[in-house]
Amino acid sequence: MTTERALHFRGGRIIDPLTKRDETGELLVVGECIQAIAYGGKVNAPSHAQVIDCGGAILCPGLIDPHVHLREPGGEAKETIATGTRSAAAGGFTTVCCMPNTNPCLDTAMAVRFVEGRAADAASARVFVVGAATVGRKGDQLAPMASMAHAGAVAFSDDGDGIASGGMMRRVLEVCKTLDRAFMQHCQDASLSEGGLINEGPVATRLGLLPWPRDAEEVMFERDLRLNTRIDARYHAQHLSSGGSARILREARARVGSDRAHRISGEAAPHHLLLTCDACDGYNTGAKMNPPLRTQWDINELKLAIADGTIDVLATDHAPHTIAEKARDFASAPFGIIGLECALALYAKALVEDGVIDWPRLIQLLTLAPARLCGLASRVDGIGTLTVGGVADLTLIDPENSWTIRADAFQSKSRNCPFDGWNVRAKPVMTVRAGEILFDATCATNPSQALRAHAPR
Amino acid sequence: MQLTGLLDHAERLLPSAVGDTPAERVLAGKLIANLFFEDSTRTRVSFEIAARRLGADVVNLGASGSSASKGESLVDTARNIEAMGVDVLVVRCAISGGAALVADNVKCAVVNAGDGRHEHPTQGLLDLLTLRRHLGDLRGKRVAIVGDIANSRVARSTTHGLAALGAHVVAVGPPSLIPSGWRNLTCCENITISHDLDPIVGEVDAIITLRIQMERAAGQGIASDYRFAYGLTESRRARLRSGALILHPGPMNRGVEIDDAVADDALSSVIFEQVSAGVAVRMAVLLQACTAVAKDTQSH
Repeated sequence: MTTERALHFRGGRIIDPLTKRDETGELLVVGECIQAIAYGGKVNAPSHAQVIDCGGAILCPGLIDPHVHLREPGGEAKETIATGTRSAAAGGFTTVCCMPNTNPCLDTAMAVRFVEGRAADAASARVFVVGAATVGRKGDQLAPMASMAHAGAVAFSDDGDGIASGGMMRRVLEVCKTLDRAFMQHCQDASLSEGGLINEGPVATRLGLLPWPRDAEEVMFERDLRLNTRIDARYHAQHLSSGGSARILREARARVGSDRAHRISGEAAPHHLLLTCDACDGYNTGAKMNPPLRTQWDINELKLAIADGTIDVLATDHAPHTIAEKARDFASAPFGIIGLECALALYAKALVEDGVIDWPRLIQLLTLAPARLCGLASRVDGIGTLTVGGVADLTLIDPENSWTIRADAFQSKSRNCPFDGWNVRAKPVMTVRAGEILFDATCATNPSQALRAHAPR
Repeated sequence: MQLTGLLDHAERLLPSAVGDTPAERVLAGKLIANLFFEDSTRTRVSFEIAARRLGADVVNLGASGSSASKGESLVDTARNIEAMGVDVLVVRCAISGGAALVADNVKCAVVNAGDGRHEHPTQGLLDLLTLRRHLGDLRGKRVAIVGDIANSRVARSTTHGLAALGAHVVAVGPPSLIPSGWRNLTCCENITISHDLDPIVGEVDAIITLRIQMERAAGQGIASDYRFAYGLTESRRARLRSGALILHPGPMNRGVEIDDAVADDALSSVIFEQVSAGVAVRMAVLLQACTAVAKDTQSH
């Protein structure tokens, strides 16, 4: 019998969102799987196991981000599957779901297989594909979703654009229902946000920038929820920016009842919880996002919705762009910021430090919730949980580690991060995928060394 | 106050601006480039005349006929022109924040000649100068700005200026053309909003009526009865207070926001005085821009 690689975690605060346990203990990984978990006790580790002293740090399932842009194919100057997934691993994420707005668009089974193939060759963190729901994301012809699902697409979205036509939306939801895949909507009624760049209000007015009002998000969201009442597809609203949307989601979940509420969800991104449209002042393209940054009222409403469980998925919307692109004037510069490498600390700042939710709940929103949204357990046994016999995708988090966000040190190919220079707390210190250490901040100060996967001795 | 000083200076330059007296050619040897990436009649010619009256050399560049039509960025174009040794770049563009972006990327002086929906500072100054010459101190005066506020850089610059000088500004127009948060445009609390022009007409010292900007998609925000609701018609002009003024930044859509008889009304319309004041204002601005750069260079 060959000796399988083994990792022996000791002294960790083990948080499992499935069993809702949160206790100090030990965890043993053998090969690709979790072999044993001993809450409040010791595991029986083989002598060759690499011992990892957690020192009270949080040991939890590997974080999952259901909304990132890896830019490959077509946008390799911004990011690649290799750099984007290294960025994910350095941010504590063992799994990311990539959006289809690449060039060409991920709207065929062949395109899905291309990404899966590139990921198999080059990826650090796991990659799952969110396929386009319509051809070219143009909203006028159904994409071949059945064959894409067969090829591996875990969900569907035209992210970057909402599906404008009510008729097309209805067909997409019906197909998603039959395929048992979530549909993720980028809620934006373009007739209400036409040319809009930032939140409607005094800043937009003073800067002379066209407004992207809350209405544009809320109107499409309400339409979709109405359509889905009969269809009952797994519907997910991406990157909610408006406090009104949070209220709409709360009411919709109450309306369908507790047994079906989980069929409707919404996600929040770190920037919508920490920044307002004031950050756009001076034509700061670093704060140009879609949907736009809004106001403190919206932040408060989104936090309330996270606190009461209305919003139960978190996502970065990691959107890399080159320095030159972001140096353009405000109207021509692209929307979006990168988030993978500082997201955990920012969630901790916005939600845990602020008392909105506690660490176990935050872990749940970053692991089990997105795993369920995308049906990932059918692809990887035990993903998003700490389950004996399940996959050993793990993240070790030091919740007290104070550090300064330095975009220059990111693994991502891009630097467009408005949180550069922020002092934050909570840091992913180790990322393990299927028993393999992808990232280990404890072994080196040089992140590129830290990222090198290393075998046990 | 810097604003008052600039207006005083422009007022002193007015006779030479309109050619009544020769101007001192103090900018002889200076090179001023007009970078106009958006169409303009008044502003470009006004800057050119202002520069020439002061003895400066002027080059003009438009979007068509330049590499901007090949996709060269505003900043790259500006840096290339700067590299040829100009002292002042006068920038007009459709991009809000465009002039500031150029200024961040060049060392020479940059004058904003209108950037998108953001600001048109020299237009604001010439409105203030025109109003001041007729109404005196603007403190406590009431000025209505009527029409396409949302898409108007003139409305922004003129409102900032009027508010700074203590005037009360009423923005008048349909809800679709008055953007959210307009009342908080400045830190002053003397901005109000009305969607009804008629009660305003008789109580203001001046009305600045704006052009409906079809090229900025304002067309969707207005109905065919715009003139009925917000046009400066003869019957509205007849209800003006004695001595009240009509201004328009041009170009005018006659028969839409302003009727012929009002535009050309000898008593109230000061629309062509605005144009003359524009040259004086731009002379003052160019003089200040050249002085500022000279001082800047010395301090280095």
